[in-house]
Amino acid sequence: MGKLTIGCFSSLVGSLSLDFAVKLSEAAVQKGHKVDLWLSGNGTMLAKKGQKAFKDYSHLAKKVQELLATGNFQITACEACAEARGYHKDEMAEGLKRFSMDWYLASTFSADRVLHIGGD
Amino acid sequence: MATRKLGFVIRSLPYKTEASRLALTHAISSQTVEIYLEDGDLVEPVVCYIGDGVLNCLKGQQAAKHYGVTSIEQHARNSLLLDLNVMICKEDLDKRGIPDNALVLDAEDIGGETAAKVVPYSEIQKVMESVDHLLFC
Amino acid sequence: MKLGVFVSDFRSGSDVLDRLTAEKLGIIFVGNGVYHATVKEEGKSCPVLDKQAHFYVLTEDLESRGFTAAQVDSRVKAVTYSDVVDLIFNDYEKAIWI
Repeated sequence: MGKLTIGCFSSLVGSLSLDFAVKLSEAAVQKGHKVDLWLSGNGTMLAKKGQKAFKDYSHLAKKVQELLATGNFQITACEACAEARGYHKDEMAEGLKRFSMDWYLASTFSADRVLHIGGD
Repeated sequence: MATRKLGFVIRSLPYKTEASRLALTHAISSQTVEIYLEDGDLVEPVVCYIGDGVLNCLKGQQAAKHYGVTSIEQHARNSLLLDLNVMICKEDLDKRGIPDNALVLDAEDIGGETAAKVVPYSEIQKVMESVDHLLFC
Repeated sequence: MKLGVFVSDFRSGSDVLDRLTAEKLGIIFVGNGVYHATVKEEGKSCPVLDKQAHFYVLTEDLESRGFTAAQVDSRVKAVTYSDVVDLIFNDYEKAIWI
């Protein structure tokens, strides 16, 4: 089994690329792989707690919590990107981490595969 | 001890999206990645500009003056100050009529000793083959 | 290199694909990239499909846009997320998203 690191700059709402990243993570975890998901830029909005589910918008919070519960998935948001968008450490969803960008590079160091979704 | 090479390939235009800015800031963050790694382990980025991405390298960007944000030019200069390996695709510059003297090719004025290289696409293809992971932005 | 390219858009990305070479090249159409596998403009298939590559299209994104696997160009194989994971780990050493 391997490790997949996914980086995603795409927004939670307005692009399905982040949905892709989460669904790919789910498929990889189901196959026994470990997945690190790095959120940067607009992608960091996935890490904010209190998201309400509407049928018209992507809602990934529940799936993220299910993936975290497997122990084979971690998700980290870019600290500066989050702060720039006005949400702070105490507003992070449960189980999600936030670090500076070097965390992502460190994750790629030990990854067997990297998929970088560099924005829409 | 090991080194992992990451190829950041910038193909996006600046400013409308964060893609090129984030590519550069992520590449620059390699300077502090050691705090997460074992002694002697390194992550070494290479930054390549291709397609419309070469327009990120133009000198004279005044985004700070007009929008109060750090220009992509400044990030490009910082990447050279920090000795990152930077390549710009010659064919894509020629196609857009951009001469070398219009580009950020060094950061000498702020103490940088490394210069960006204008190279044929074939050289960038070789980089893409040699790195461990590719990050297109 | 063995390279898997995720093509997520219909109108951009050809600048990258046209000159990209790899010992083994896989092109995986996802998101709006699925139109490359399904739409025939002026009766012609998408020129991307003439490239020497293995082609895949993500079924979930295909069906989300109103197509079925039966409407996909014969050179393209419909795959699931699970299949994509196997492609990433077993068939290609590197993956890029354009």
